[in-house]
Amino acid sequence: MSIVPDKRGYYGMFGGRFVAETLVNALLELEEAYNAFKQSAGMQRELAVMMERYAGRPTPVYYAERFSRETGIEVYLKREDLLHTGAHKLNNTLGQILLTRFMGKKRVIAETGAGQHGVATATVAALMGMECTVYMGALDVERQAPNVKRMKFLGAEVVPVERGGRVLKDAVNAAMKDWVKSVKGTHYLVGSVIGAHPFPVIVRDFQSVIGSEAKEQMVKLTGAGPDCAVACVGGGSNAAGLFSAYVGDPDTRCIGVEAGGRSFEPGQHSATLHCGEPGILQGCLTYLLQDSEGQVLPVHSVSAGLDYPAVGPEHSYYKNENLVEYRTCNDREALDACVMLTRLEGIIPALESSHALGFLMANAGEFAGKKVLVSLSGRGDKDMPILEKELGL
Amino acid sequence: MRGYNGLYLVGNYPDPDTFVRAAVTGLRYFDFLEIGIPFSDPVADGPVITDAIETMVEKGLRLDELLESVSVIRRGVSRDKKLYFMTYSNMVYRRGMEKFGKMCRDNGVQGVIIPDIPRLESAAFREAFNSNGVEFIQFATPENRKEQITEVAEDAEGFLYFVSIRGTTGSSLTLDEDTKEKITAARKASSVPVVLGFGIRDAATANLALENADGFIIGTRIIELLNNGGITDVENFYRDLAEGLEQAGIQQP
Repeated sequence: MSIVPDKRGYYGMFGGRFVAETLVNALLELEEAYNAFKQSAGMQRELAVMMERYAGRPTPVYYAERFSRETGIEVYLKREDLLHTGAHKLNNTLGQILLTRFMGKKRVIAETGAGQHGVATATVAALMGMECTVYMGALDVERQAPNVKRMKFLGAEVVPVERGGRVLKDAVNAAMKDWVKSVKGTHYLVGSVIGAHPFPVIVRDFQSVIGSEAKEQMVKLTGAGPDCAVACVGGGSNAAGLFSAYVGDPDTRCIGVEAGGRSFEPGQHSATLHCGEPGILQGCLTYLLQDSEGQVLPVHSVSAGLDYPAVGPEHSYYKNENLVEYRTCNDREALDACVMLTRLEGIIPALESSHALGFLMANAGEFAGKKVLVSLSGRGDKDMPILEKELGL
Repeated sequence: MRGYNGLYLVGNYPDPDTFVRAAVTGLRYFDFLEIGIPFSDPVADGPVITDAIETMVEKGLRLDELLESVSVIRRGVSRDKKLYFMTYSNMVYRRGMEKFGKMCRDNGVQGVIIPDIPRLESAAFREAFNSNGVEFIQFATPENRKEQITEVAEDAEGFLYFVSIRGTTGSSLTLDEDTKEKITAARKASSVPVVLGFGIRDAATANLALENADGFIIGTRIIELLNNGGITDVENFYRDLAEGLEQAGIQQP
């Protein structure tokens, strides 16, 4: 699926580079550097070695037998939770930190919601001896405390962002404001398939290892591809990685699951593709949760990694082209799924990934007897404070 | 005042009456007014203006209400004073570029400044505005290469907004030699004034801007004065600024 984006960074009508003029040359240089990075056999070899020996790739695909028996769906889990630092985020940060060094920059900044991308960035910054600042909404700092401690322990500076809803979107704004000042020596290590071109394509490419590995593993394990490939969608990086192997494949339905939150009232969810309309935020044209004036709406999800009012432009394109179905899973369904997988398989899934599982459980009839590949994008240890609170543990 | 200078105010901040008065008295000294249409995610703005914008977004300011103030200002100042909207791309995209352009024309607004639309994304916006006789203001920055600066200066309309620093509004102003050279190149290529924005907050920095460019835009300082002292302080500031610049002008050889 290398047909998108086009040369200007557009996925159909979506994408683009809606940033301050000050950042334009940095984006053009990044694009050029990334193309050279892709062509460089040496860099690709180094990345492959690090993916294997440092990150722990390939991650397995695991047939969740007891979970399958309980739900009546044949569920296979792509175990990104087993990757170093506990989520798929490291695929991207490892790639981008090598790219940062390749460009001769010595400082990275990042935004983070649940803290997984922040931890993955702090990790690779430590690995490379680079300076690292992570912006995190103050609300997320509170509810994802374990990850904040990890980032600090890894040597990163964590800046709590006290603006707006004090969540992921506000962290991205703060990171963009840092970058406009520091652009000369700093790389903005974007954590999802969001933002201005070329970020969405860089992140997708580094995450596509999820899809390419899983595709081969499914065939080895079951003799054929899955009927469905399912992943949660906040910004949409693990989904973009998984779908990269299956989009346009007539035998496999791709399904992205957004956070339905408490309800579909404004401010109570973050189901951007379900409820939003096209708009421009943080560098790209994409579906956006906004009011009639164009103000971006507050969002909610029990999972701190999904509550983003926009979505990667590639997903907006897939939606409009009917290449991927986008569905939702609410807070309660996600929590139930988290408990169920934990008790039946001994795997505590991240609340983000729990949305993919919760969607399947809530729609078990539709998927009865189907072979479903789920991206288990991260582990749930970081969610213990939320789980304690929500489930009264 | 010497030069071709602009005043930035956040639309209807802190309230419609104060906003209109700050605008009308300001335009006795300044040549144009930038009216900020509040947007929830103002990535080009520093903390002071972001706070003011967030206040207005929380109050639920609607564009229609702001247009009422705009028409009072338009009637209260002479025709040669120009009004511009400054806002973020989604506020224009949401309304529709064409409709937004028409709205500007119908309300006596000369043009639009959108800090998150760089030149390479500007074509559709510019076309929609121009077809309504409305200007699309372009930016030049120290990060641009000389040939990019010449290119943008050559087809700038209204004025060329030169972002004097790397950063957000309200940062402090310093002009290195490289930036000064780029400003000079812009002035050479441009048929419209090259105006410095970001970091100008008093007579000294305004004078520095006028030594290097055709004008300056001042914003953050006005919002600070509105917050701390109110409209009287703002009006005193206008007068002191004009006097300070006049004296600096006399002292110059």
